[in-house]
Amino acid sequence: MSKKTKVGMGVTYILAFLWIVATTVPLLLAVLSSFKDNTEIYLRPWQLPQSWAPVNYIRAIVDVGALRSIGNTLLVAFLTAGGVLLVALLASYPMSRKNIRWVKSTYTLFVLAVMIPVHTTLIPISSLATILKAKDQYWYLILVYIAFNMAQSIFLISGSMNGISREIDDAAIIDGCGDFRLLFRILTPICKPILATEAIFAFVYAYGELIFSLTLISNSKLYTVSRAMLSFYGDGDMRLGPIFAFIVLSAIPSIIVYVLFHNQIQKGVMNGAIKG
Amino acid sequence: MTYKRKDHLISILFLFPALLLLCVFIIYPTISTIKLSFHSWKGIYGMAQEFVGFSNFQKVLTSDTFWNAMLNSVYFMIGTFVILMPLSFSLALVVTSKLKFTGFMKTMYYLPVILGTTTVALMWRCILNPNTGILAGILNAMGLGDHVIDWLNTPTVNVWTTILINEWKFAGYNMLIFVAGITSIPDTTVEAAMIDGCNYWQRLRYIILPLSKNSFKVFAILGITGCLKVFDIIWAMTGGGPNDLSSTPGIMIYQFAYTYKKYGRSAAIAVILLILGVSLSAVCNRVFKQDDIY
Repeated sequence: MSKKTKVGMGVTYILAFLWIVATTVPLLLAVLSSFKDNTEIYLRPWQLPQSWAPVNYIRAIVDVGALRSIGNTLLVAFLTAGGVLLVALLASYPMSRKNIRWVKSTYTLFVLAVMIPVHTTLIPISSLATILKAKDQYWYLILVYIAFNMAQSIFLISGSMNGISREIDDAAIIDGCGDFRLLFRILTPICKPILATEAIFAFVYAYGELIFSLTLISNSKLYTVSRAMLSFYGDGDMRLGPIFAFIVLSAIPSIIVYVLFHNQIQKGVMNGAIKG
Repeated sequence: MTYKRKDHLISILFLFPALLLLCVFIIYPTISTIKLSFHSWKGIYGMAQEFVGFSNFQKVLTSDTFWNAMLNSVYFMIGTFVILMPLSFSLALVVTSKLKFTGFMKTMYYLPVILGTTTVALMWRCILNPNTGILAGILNAMGLGDHVIDWLNTPTVNVWTTILINEWKFAGYNMLIFVAGITSIPDTTVEAAMIDGCNYWQRLRYIILPLSKNSFKVFAILGITGCLKVFDIIWAMTGGGPNDLSSTPGIMIYQFAYTYKKYGRSAAIAVILLILGVSLSAVCNRVFKQDDIY
């Protein structure tokens, strides 16, 4: 290896390291601060907290219901992920397996739908909620989340089904498989990797979503994490410790999902990028 | 192979949930918003909407707040192309290089993306708090106390602070878009260039950049439409304040509807965003039209 390449690699390592510092240090500071009071945060930001007693956590949990809002959001996020998979699997099957002209044109419809920004739909969706008495109802929020996540899933799942040989279908049909069993018993297990990826994406989206939860949920007992955190910060109490504690608690489910599935998540983003 | 009636029935049955959701939550609302943008409505149900022609659009397009919000969106776009693009592309080069630990780096770089926008925004708000925040504390300890300003309440500064936080959060995501482009280049092409004596910069300029053009297109489209739509991060960092100076069109849509109860005005902004988003995506598609390279 030439001297020049070695220097180049050294510089690259330094840059790589600097961005790792940039991404992790704020998170570490947030964890440390969640055990401190304002004075300690200000005067000793880098030091370990003087006491590890979880007073801030208790305040975040008891006073603002951090755990309740996290639980609410987890429920919404799991149901959204499941719903997206079901709706997208059902829609992908005829798109991939039935060579019918009108079915193909529905695909184009979904492609066009992706271009519509969420904001354009905001007012009618909340008006509709009022008409259906669906304000403060999770089922409505979940259906909205599914609607905005299904198109991407349909593209990737039907794409993945197109890659499965039709000979498998023929064999299954000869063995007496109907459409339902062909889809759920034969094709679904083969598409598992992409299904996992899409489920995770829907989960992450629903867990962090803000604008629909702002417009559709107003009962503070039903607040999702984003909503609950914002109103906690906004209620005028400027003690930072409990807010940091809430932030750390809210990040735990995301980080668990990420640690378990980071490979699928990264593959999913890259697949999406290639498809454009 | 011909399709029987049963196949049509099965297709209808299987597509029904997706099409229903599409119609109820995307197509109907879009049409309804377009209609609403020509009407005046205070959001009271049962109360008729009054047709006002283009007056909502006229009011929006002549208001300073709207143009200031558009300017902030343009700032977000500048940030996207001047800061985020070089940063994410460099990170992509790092994690696709022959260094060790690239898998670990990739995982760490993506970490902020996975956290919710509100979580990230509030974390930075606490860090940047000028009275008791961590950054103020650090600057004071270093004797730079004079440089402590209210980063999130000073006009223009607060928009750029939010932009930097946004780039911090999304660098890892965009890195993966570029990684997808770079890894789709066949190894043999790069090796052939090396055998021909290309140095690193020449390979970057003549092989890697032109052949990952498609990922720049994806980046540009997602970046531009994302900047037009930006809502969450501004809402959680500054709420659009002070005096709407850090507002964006997305924030205005929300506030006109739910704070000022001027639904027609809000719908007009939404329609402008829709038109801008679709036409700018079309422009990007043209600009980055993949030339045949072979």
